[in-house]
Order: sequence, then structure tokens, then C-alpha cells
Amino acid sequence: MNQITDSLRRPPVLITLAAAVIALILPLFLQTYWLHVIIIAYFYAILASSWALLAGYGGQFSFGHMAFMAIGAYTSGLLTLHLDIPIVGGIILGTLAAGVAGLAIGALTLRFKAAYLALFTIAFSEILRTLIRAEAQITRGDRGLRVEPLFNSLTRIPEYYVMLAVLFASLIFMYWLVQSRVGLFLRAVREDEEAAAARGVDVVRYKILTFVLTSMIAGLAGTIFAHYITIITPNIMVIPQMGLVIAMAIIGGVESLVAAAIGAVIVQIALELLREFGAWRLVIFGALLVLTLRFARDGLLIMIFQRLFRTGPRAELRQSAEEEGIRADQEGEDELTEMEAPLTSTGQES
Amino acid sequence: MDYFLTLLVTGLVMGIIYALMALGLTLIFSILNVINFAHGEFYMLGGYAAYLLLEIFTGIHPLLMVPVAGILVAVLGVLFEMVFLRPMHEEQIARPAEYAVLVTFGLSFFLQNLALALFGPYPHAPRSFFEGSLRLGPVIVSADRVTASILSLVLLGLLLLVINKTWLGKALRAVSQDKQAAAVVGINPHIMNTVAFAMGVGLAAVAGALLAPVFSITPDVGAVPAIRSYIIIVLGGMGSIPGSILGGLVIGLVESFGAGYFPDPSRALNYKTVFGLVIFALVLLFRPRGFFGRKEA
Repeated sequence: MNQITDSLRRPPVLITLAAAVIALILPLFLQTYWLHVIIIAYFYAILASSWALLAGYGGQFSFGHMAFMAIGAYTSGLLTLHLDIPIVGGIILGTLAAGVAGLAIGALTLRFKAAYLALFTIAFSEILRTLIRAEAQITRGDRGLRVEPLFNSLTRIPEYYVMLAVLFASLIFMYWLVQSRVGLFLRAVREDEEAAAARGVDVVRYKILTFVLTSMIAGLAGTIFAHYITIITPNIMVIPQMGLVIAMAIIGGVESLVAAAIGAVIVQIALELLREFGAWRLVIFGALLVLTLRFARDGLLIMIFQRLFRTGPRAELRQSAEEEGIRADQEGEDELTEMEAPLTSTGQES
Repeated sequence: MDYFLTLLVTGLVMGIIYALMALGLTLIFSILNVINFAHGEFYMLGGYAAYLLLEIFTGIHPLLMVPVAGILVAVLGVLFEMVFLRPMHEEQIARPAEYAVLVTFGLSFFLQNLALALFGPYPHAPRSFFEGSLRLGPVIVSADRVTASILSLVLLGLLLLVINKTWLGKALRAVSQDKQAAAVVGINPHIMNTVAFAMGVGLAAVAGALLAPVFSITPDVGAVPAIRSYIIIVLGGMGSIPGSILGGLVIGLVESFGAGYFPDPSRALNYKTVFGLVIFALVLLFRPRGFFGRKEA
């Protein structure tokens, strides 16, 4: 086991605790405006970390994560508006709706090679957006759907704690999932799908399960976002928004849930601080995304973090191993040794 | 009947252009084993390149700028392929299939935002190729669409000729069938990868330049054509050249007739893309290898 996979299973305790404490007392020090920025950052952190679970752990590349988020947002927004359902009911139903959509798409595409999921979800996402725009009598299209507010607070402090609670809850749930049998199977499937199947893992079922659960997390984030921001438009699910979430997860470190979440918070704050650069900010993060993929595959933050704290023979060893094209996590011994994949994993070729 | 004929002609005219763009995707997929998730952005770049060239060279006929735009974008494609995709084939990168999906998607994110920063969100359109419309019996089609479609047809023919009759085509086909065997007989797979990627994105750019006068260009203009191309290659069978041509025509006709006979005309145009998604789902359910796919997906 290398450090990355370790940190995925057990987040570095000190950093996580420190981050949690800072997050809990933050409202004492921030003005309403920055509190709002951080609430949105948490929203992205939920999306980026759940996408990281899907991609970094399950090897499933969905470009529909924002579509599931939007399904949650619109379901809850429309139901609370038209059927007088309480907001909590809307949140539950919105989350379930995202899960049902995830089940349908997962069942349709996850039998095939990984590329089919990416192809289908990108089409689904864009076409769902077109539909929401077209059905303006129901969704109010581009003019935006007014959604009931979560609270009527002026301070945004209650909303802050709600979003934070959802972020914590989803992170804890995802860590539990990763440590469970499901996580083990997922990892086995990603390393070598055929070997895992041969050992009796029902590959498709576990892929669908992960896909449904992460879709529900995205849907949940969407419902909270909708009732916080109180007006939603189809623009929340344009493909560049999906690109932003992916950039956050990759820059943070797609193989670690906490790193992806922290990446999201940092990128969101940076976007706010660099406001004067306007549209060029996203050009910068687009370039960072591509360069991180090419030169710091484990994530820019993780790489910086390792350079700062763990420069030792072990890190160097790992680096040289990687230069030879050998995945370090295929070295060492863990529960998966029996299912050891060949040196370059071929299970996921498109 | 006239209405039916109009829809038929429009569907075929657009279908040929769709086929051209999808063929670029197929070419890249069958040689590099990569689905180019930035295909739409190369289409977009083709459109902007045509627009900029015509702003600079005001006296030149717009048609002449289409190949120039295609070549300029193909050069960009060469650079991207060499820096970001070649290491993948040199086995420097772990999990190459996953990397390919992400890095091309990342490129699409980068290019879309770059276009937004450079040109703003407002539509730009190069000059028309030819003003007015053509009348073929009862059917009226705009001259620009007919021009785009005829040029696409010529280009499709040329491309098939290159692939089937020349040494380059033979080499490309060899690499797509068996990389190692091709290398043994002296075909450098890296060069073929670069060539195929450049040709593929060049085709997308030509499609973008051809359709720019018709639909105008915005930073996100590539999304719908790209998604349409994904649907076409799945429908035609991943990696199949005849499949992407037939798939392009089918999708062109489905969109044209679907929108033409949609009960509510005000929403018909929006639903055009929805038919494509339905076809995608049906293919996955009933015939995952599409028309001419080599094997089950």
C-alpha cells in the first residue's frame, strides 16, 4: 500500500481534524459575503469528492455529475413549489430522484467499457439541460425557477452549518463505503476487471451501486444548493460547470476524497480572489487541469503536500517507480495481492 | 409531399456534414484508441479560425479559408497529440484509458474557456459563401448549407480515397488492426497516431468552418455537434468508417423528420437533440456494437 491509497482509506487525522475545527468556528470570523463564498465552496466540495470516489476509486468517468445535481435541485424546487411539500421532503425526494436517474443510466451503460459511461453521461447532461430550457412552462427555463429558501436568515450562518453538515456527512459516508466490502471490490474491479470477475465479484452490480450512491450525493448537494441560492437556471449544469468540478477534484487529488474536497474549496476561494481576471481565471484552471493530469497525476495539492512533508527516500523510491511506468500501488502487499494486475492495468481500456 | 421532400433534403444535407465530423472522431478512435472529448472544441476553433482569417484577408472568397482553417487547427492537434497523448502510447502513463478520457475532456474545458476569454460569449459569423438559397424543384435550401454539404461530400470522397488507395491509408489501416504487426513491417505507430489525430481534428475544424456562416460561432458551439458525433459513432459502430457515414446520414434524417413532424413547432428545435439521446439508449439496449462495430462493446 502506498501513501495515496492509505490516505484514501484513512484521511490524515491531524489535517482532517484541524480542517474540521477551522470549518466549525469559521463563521465567527467571516463577513456574510465570504461566508457565502465558503458555502458555495462546500457545495463544490461535495460534488468534487463524490466525483473523485466515482472516478479515482471506481474508475468510472461520469460527465453527468452536474446533471444529477440539477435533477436534485429541480425536483426539490418544483415539488416544494407546486405540491406544498415541506423542504425536508423535497430534499429527500430530490436525492431519491437523482438516485433513480443514476440507476437507469448505470444499468444502461455500466455493462460496457468505461468510455460508454462518459459518452452517454455527457450526452445526457447536455440534453437534459436542453429539455429543462425547452419546458419553460414548468421549469421557467432560462429565466430561472424561484425556490423556497431554506431559512430566512440574513446572516447565512444557519445555511453555512447545513452545507457543512452535508459535506461532513457525505465524506464520512464515502469513507465508510470505501472501507467496506464495496470499496474492496471496487478497487479490485479497477485494478483488473476480468480478474475480479473471475474471482466472483459481480462487477456490474458494484459499479451500479457506486454510481447510484454518488449520484444521490450529487442530487442531495443540488437540493441544498437550490434552497440556499433560491433561484436555479439550467446554466448550473452546463458542461464547463462539470469541467470545473473535475478540475477541482483533479487539482486536489482524485485518489483522495479529502484532497478533492480541499481542492474544491481552494479553487473556489481562488476564483473569488482572482475576480479581476474575469474569464481568464477559468482558462488558468483549465490549463492547470490538463497539466496536473499530465505531470502530477496524483493531484497538484497532494504533490505539493508530499514535497513539503514527506521528502524522504520512500518518496523518491515511489517517484522512480512511477517513472518506469509502474504503479506504486501495485507493489507492496495488501488484501488484493491475489488479484494482482499486470504491470500496466489493461482492464479499463476503452 | 413538398414538406416531406424538404425535410428529406435538409436531413441529407446536414447528415453529410455530421458524417464528416463523426468520421474525424472515428479516425482518432480507430488509430489511437482514444475518444476525443475535445472534438467539439476543435469544431469551434475551426469556426473562429475561419472568422478571424476573413477579418484579416477581407478580399478573399470565404470558401478558400475553409481548408486554411482546417490546416491551422490540425497543427494545433499535432502539438496536443505530441505533448499529451504520445506519452500515453510510450507507456509513461498509468491507466492510459482513464488518462485519455480526462485529458481530452480537460482540453475541451480549457479551450472553451479560452475562447470565452478571447472572443466573449457573443456569436461571431464569417461572411456567407454564397448569398440566397437554392431551389431544387419544390425544395428550398440555403446556398450556404448546400455548399457546406457538397464540400463535405467531396472531402469524404477524398478521405475514403486516401484511406483505401494510398500508402498512408494502408499504414493507418494496418495500425488500427494491429499496432505491433504494423511496427514490425516498419510503420512508426507514433507518427500514425499524430497523423490520425491531426486529420481527425482537422475534419472537425473543417465542419466548424463550413457551418460557421450558417449557425455562427460561440465558445460553447461545439457541445451539440460533439455529442451528435458521439451518438453517431456508437450508432455506426465504434471505429467503423462506413458506420460513421451511415450513422451521420441517419442522425441527420432523424433530426430533420423528428423536428419537422414534432407536434409543437415552438419546441421542435430543442427536441432535435433529444431524439439522438433516445437512439443512443436504444443502441446500447439492443445492438451495442451499432451498425458495423467489430465486436460487442
